[in-house]
Amino acid sequence: MINEILQAIIFPGVLFTIAMGFLFDWLDRKTAARMQGRIGPKITGPSGILQPLADFLKLLFKEEIIPSHADRVIFLFAPALYFLAPLLSMLFIPIIGPTPLAGFEFDLLAILFLLAYAAFVVTILSYSSASSFTTIATGRLVLQYVSYEIPLVLAIITAALYSRSLSVEGIVASQSTLWNILVMPFAFGVYIIALMAELEKPPFDIPSAKTEIVAGWLTEFSGRALSFLKLTKEVGYVFGSALAVSLFLGGGLGPEVAAVPPPVLYFVYFMVKLLLVGFLIFVLKTALARIKIGQATELFWKILTPVSLAQIAFVLVLIQGGVLVAT
Amino acid sequence: MLERLATWSRKRSPWVFHINASSCNGCDIELVASLTPLYDIERFGAILVPSPRHADVLIVTGTVNAQTKDRLRRVYEQVPEPKHVIALGACAAAGGVFKGCYNVGQGVQDVIPVDMFIPGCPPRPEAIMYGVLKLLGEVK
Ligand code: SF4
Repeated sequence: MINEILQAIIFPGVLFTIAMGFLFDWLDRKTAARMQGRIGPKITGPSGILQPLADFLKLLFKEEIIPSHADRVIFLFAPALYFLAPLLSMLFIPIIGPTPLAGFEFDLLAILFLLAYAAFVVTILSYSSASSFTTIATGRLVLQYVSYEIPLVLAIITAALYSRSLSVEGIVASQSTLWNILVMPFAFGVYIIALMAELEKPPFDIPSAKTEIVAGWLTEFSGRALSFLKLTKEVGYVFGSALAVSLFLGGGLGPEVAAVPPPVLYFVYFMVKLLLVGFLIFVLKTALARIKIGQATELFWKILTPVSLAQIAFVLVLIQGGVLVAT
Repeated sequence: MLERLATWSRKRSPWVFHINASSCNGCDIELVASLTPLYDIERFGAILVPSPRHADVLIVTGTVNAQTKDRLRRVYEQVPEPKHVIALGACAAAGGVFKGCYNVGQGVQDVIPVDMFIPGCPPRPEAIMYGVLKLLGEVK
């Protein structure tokens, strides 16, 4: 019992997830800096690795301003509600062994629910601050959400269909011989693009467009609320990549090494894949520039939705034909 | 203990909001230059933030005139405590080349409290970085 509580709180639970969020933020800034020929964070800890922690603490110790016409209750409590979404979702991902901390038979549906929940909380959060910039941002946020959600869910469903399981654990277990990405490369691509839209990374940083609407829906937040919103985004980054690893890249599965105990090996494989997916997103986000909201909707509805439907049809044909069926 | 943690984090993460209070754009270009690969002020954790509510350091460029006075004060009030103000360039310090114009005051310190002046017309990026770091050294 004690052991499980410790696992949930420290490793691989909440604290580990938060630490990974900081690590991802640092890697993100370092990669962007290197690609632009800069150095990036340097003096805070070795190579600036503590920079995200310093940012977080500084915001925590700062004054929090509540705009006079904001909805106080939502404005104060919704950041914590938002923070819960990726943190809870992370408990369904197997990290140090084939069984996740809190998995059950239909946990993929719970993850889909938490994705929708996060989008809903952001929307009311953004509306609650009631300034003209956040109002524009809310419109864009909702439009972007209805655009990317269909391809995102279709891509996730493709993996579930092929592995014939609605739990992340089952999907990972079914990939012991063949990773899903080899069967459904397009679903993986669609998932990554939709994930970038969900995380509001360029080219989909439309709801938080710096040069157009100040800081988008984050404009009115300061101090504690801002620190949690930023942390949530970073943890969401980790969770999105971890889900990609579990659904398409075989989770922590990999060739066995006799000398290393299985949980350590599982964790190492998982981390390597996680960082690779993260790195893919860092590079894409630095290389691309923002598109317009109409273009984003068009991309998702007119191109990526048909692509993911075609991918599903292809996978169904494979299953019906009895070729390459997952174990 | 908590105090020391707060001081440490404040020294390591100065987020900058830049407000152009009717400058000639010279100072602004030099400020942006300090973000470029050659100088890269992000090494010290400083980034340009888009909203004054996220900022720790307010950098004001340009001579404050009758038009920008109220706006500058309003932006200053939107920055959460603890906050610092840097007046960048000769104009921000005392009016610079525009001194004596019919709508120009005596610089930023007439309107809001200033923690540091960085002189020059425009100051070089090295000077800007030196100023920001010196200000951080004073942060308690
Ligand atoms: S100090 Fe010089 S460069 Fe800066 S705004 Fe004034 S005139 Fe322009």
